[in-house]
Amino acid sequence: MDFQKTEEQELLLESLQEAYKRGNFEDYFKECDKNHEFPEKAADVMVEAGFAALGIPEEYGGTEADLLTQIMVTEEAYALGWPALAWINQALSVDDMLSFGNEQQQKVVMDLSLKGIKPFTLGFSEPQAGSDSAAMAATATKSNGKVYINGQKTFNTSANRAPYMLCVIREFKNENPVKDFSMYLLPLDRDGVKVERLDKIGCNTVATCEVYLKDVECEESDLVGIEGRGFYQLMKNFEIERLLTCAHNLGMARCAYDEAARYAGVREQFGKIIGANQLIQQKITDSKIKLINMQNMIYQTACQYMTGQSISVEASLCKRYTGQAAFEVIDDCMQIMGGIGYTHDCRISRLWRDQRVYRIFAGTEEIMVHTSARALIKAAQK
Amino acid sequence: MKVVSCYKVVPDERDIIVKADQTLDMSKAELKLGEYDLNAIEEGVRIADATGGTASILTVGGPQIDNSKLTKAALSRGALDLHMVIDEATAEFDAHATASTLAAALSTIGFELVLCGEGSADIYAQQVGNQLGELLGVPCFNAVSKITPHAGSVLIERTLENETETLEVALPAVLSVTADINLPRIPQLKEILAAGKREIVRYSLADLGISGSNGTKIISTLAPESTERKQVILEGASAENIDAFVQSIKREL
Repeated sequence: MDFQKTEEQELLLESLQEAYKRGNFEDYFKECDKNHEFPEKAADVMVEAGFAALGIPEEYGGTEADLLTQIMVTEEAYALGWPALAWINQALSVDDMLSFGNEQQQKVVMDLSLKGIKPFTLGFSEPQAGSDSAAMAATATKSNGKVYINGQKTFNTSANRAPYMLCVIREFKNENPVKDFSMYLLPLDRDGVKVERLDKIGCNTVATCEVYLKDVECEESDLVGIEGRGFYQLMKNFEIERLLTCAHNLGMARCAYDEAARYAGVREQFGKIIGANQLIQQKITDSKIKLINMQNMIYQTACQYMTGQSISVEASLCKRYTGQAAFEVIDDCMQIMGGIGYTHDCRISRLWRDQRVYRIFAGTEEIMVHTSARALIKAAQK
Repeated sequence: MKVVSCYKVVPDERDIIVKADQTLDMSKAELKLGEYDLNAIEEGVRIADATGGTASILTVGGPQIDNSKLTKAALSRGALDLHMVIDEATAEFDAHATASTLAAALSTIGFELVLCGEGSADIYAQQVGNQLGELLGVPCFNAVSKITPHAGSVLIERTLENETETLEVALPAVLSVTADINLPRIPQLKEILAAGKREIVRYSLADLGISGSNGTKIISTLAPESTERKQVILEGASAENIDAFVQSIKREL
């Protein structure tokens, strides 16, 4: 299999590198991380440079780009040092809206995406429904031609900035939960919505919130897709979302590796560079192996998706592997940096804090076993 | 206005290795567009857009310049078409031979305004623009930091040591622009994809009816010898320190 980048992909990545270099964002990102602020100014620069439009269909004013190209751009942004979760391209996260949203919903979501704004937070997890998504209990009650939504959602990324929530509710019409969920595109500026920011250890530039929904009035036309099909619609989104988080993992690991490998070649102790020590060499070697493995696995899965094959198992395998491998790479890189790696001056400390959650969100690494192993065993019975 | 911007393909300086005998090893260097020439391309496209004209780009070099990634990189910056003079002999060309080749190509292509960068990113002799103007028999200026197009002429600003000179230059003309005349665009995917579909016209020296020969000969190119830093640090700008600073420099000269 050939993962050689096309000339167009190489030139696009060079454009990204140039835009990043011109922006001189490092100190600004440090400030944003410290102050728990979204890197608005840097985001504007990248939107201006056309990176929000990638992957948005042309009829909505975007530029078509295949999944692999989008993955490469996302990976590169994080490899350059973009703060976790804050990259401005939304094309893959809004893929489900293109599949299931009505015309109006598609237009609203694509317009926001073109501006680099995350259009909606995923309203999925609830306090009692984490990995056990079937335990969701938020409701939508129809009355006088309106829909009233009640419930509590948690771990909502960017709920403080996103104009909408893609809110999943239980219909309580079918006893089988997977046939009983519906999705609404719920405007978060409505009465009855309360957003509270969670205090977490990393990914500081992007808020994670609790959202309380009390009799939030929606229109029946705010329904996304088909009533009772919400769970299946969500699953389609999950495959792509998982693969996308893998690109984050790879990018962040590359970012840490580049810095640590460079440092190993210049930092001197005992009269020689630390890279001359085998214990440091081993960390660099093992990290590089993991980077190559991650990249191959992600690109291969992307290619599989692009040729129309299912990636439901592969996306899970990828997420489990890259989450752990990136964590190990970043941890080893911090070790190579020594004490400096533990200070806020060194961005590896940020990567170390930020990447940890990738083993938890968008399906924990344990759930990735659950979603893939049964299918793998079943496939072996033929 | 019909504008033609010239560019040179150069080795990426980050990949140049200085060998023990101070000679340069460029065998591992990737090729790229000269960065000063990006300003000339950008300015050409802006002037063409402002005047409803056309922007073309022109380059001279050996067969290695006819590389599809490099031509896409050049054409993703807004120009309509690319003209390339490709000939093995040009690889060793000096400024005058290069200017003569460009002049022959420009006589074929036709132009109202020709733009060059302030110097090539490898040799940086800053000669080609002025020699090109002379060979074409048209007005030429270097150090141009602003261009305002008019009918039949351009108003230019030149940033000199102590003043800014403003001149009206009749067309056709050749101008070498400074690196701060504009901020070259960062090509977006749409432009990168479109670049592969733009027209490329290739010429050999024979096509242009010239042979081209150097009037100069490079005897050697060596990197400066590296020396141990003296590591003398003087803190504070007292008269005494400044005196000591000057004395220590004098000692080394």
